Amino acid sequence: MVRLRSDLHYLTGVYALDAIDDPAERTRFEHHLRRCQQCATEVRGMSETATRLAFAASRLAPPQLRGRVLTAVARTRQLPPRVDDHRSSARPRPVPRPRLAWVAAAACLVVAIALAITLVNAERQLHRSRTAESRLEQVRAREQKIAALLTAPDTRAITHRTPSGLVTTVVFSLQRHTMLVSPTKLPPLPAGKIYQLWLIGPPQTRSAGLLPAGKYQGLAPVLVSGVVKGDIFGMTVEPAGGTKKPTTTPLVLLDLTH
Amino acid sequence: MDAADARPAGLGPGLPEGKDRDLDRLLTLVARGDESAFAVLYDQVSGPVYGLIRKVLRDPAQSEEVAQEVLLDVWRAASRFDPARGGAATWIMTIAHRRAVDRVRSVAAAAEREQRSSVLLAEDDVADAVESTLERERVRRCLDGLTDIQRESITLAYYGGYSYREVAGLLGITLGTIKTRIRDGLIRMRDCLGVSW
Repeated sequence: MVRLRSDLHYLTGVYALDAIDDPAERTRFEHHLRRCQQCATEVRGMSETATRLAFAASRLAPPQLRGRVLTAVARTRQLPPRVDDHRSSARPRPVPRPRLAWVAAAACLVVAIALAITLVNAERQLHRSRTAESRLEQVRAREQKIAALLTAPDTRAITHRTPSGLVTTVVFSLQRHTMLVSPTKLPPLPAGKIYQLWLIGPPQTRSAGLLPAGKYQGLAPVLVSGVVKGDIFGMTVEPAGGTKKPTTTPLVLLDLTH
Repeated sequence: MDAADARPAGLGPGLPEGKDRDLDRLLTLVARGDESAFAVLYDQVSGPVYGLIRKVLRDPAQSEEVAQEVLLDVWRAASRFDPARGGAATWIMTIAHRRAVDRVRSVAAAAEREQRSSVLLAEDDVADAVESTLERERVRRCLDGLTDIQRESITLAYYGGYSYREVAGLLGITLGTIKTRIRDGLIRMRDCLGVSW
């Protein structure tokens, strides 16, 4: 559980101005907001105030922009309305998470397990047919970890959907300290950029690995070890080779405790 | 003209002249795929969107690029707008500000921004292409009513795209003080502008 600290309340202003650059701190505050109606109201008033600052900075947009945007609009499909999603990119809702989310999570779990098994089988066949013993060992070790993860008593699944359509399913067990991450519909990245996974925890933020560059279709789920209570899973875009700390705003942030 | 002050509580963010309600309605139409509603919406928000991004990024070409992304995002994600949770103007400006801040916090931009901070504080905000002078004047008057630290920290955070840690560093003030100064300052701004939340 996130510890309620009175000084969290003072983050309303900096939160409303997007001035919290530490993803873990922001996530903690967003959790606090769901429970603190007073804070949520205050943030809302401050966000509306920030909007006034934005309008005061109004400036004629370059004339050519209009045509370009309207042309792009005519060619761009809109996102469907959000039906069931406990997170949102918009400003916080002071609404407790609905029970329905658990039903959805259970359904996700079934899908994730099926997915994991299919992919592991495919991988095994591939490697059995063509390669050396050591590779097979690695696959077996991975398989064992996945099996241990899927059979743990506390295994849970969370699916997260961003407004841009990126869907990430995470299956994890805190008892087994492992997590299976399956991002889908990843937008391609420019050369020199890569997706990096993170475990953001109270002890420290650590890298949870990089996604293989440029192969986002049919990506095998990534197995991550060392997951501990209080961790938040995150994914950012980083320079190729990865970084020690996240340097961009995470595309995905999932609290593994709540 | 002065509709914001007379507005009953809870109706919206309090942009002047009932603009917020129009935007709410337009955005709802946009969510249903209405391209002509989007064109009208574009005419109302492209100025603030571009102006805000330009304020944060400074570079005109980059600002134009990010503004285009944001406006296209508004079209794509319009169905995610929920009037119960805030006004359309705030929904749009939140997207714009976040995108600008994301850009400014990216690795490539990190070096440049070292130089920007001094310019930002010294710069006189008057720009020839600025529109909406009435709203501008009001906001400026309310900003003038803040203490120096409140004003500087809000300006650096919002218009400069700095994190509160960076603002603390720039102003040589502790993190705790920055948090409370920004909060107190925004509360004063909110009351001064008659924001009804």
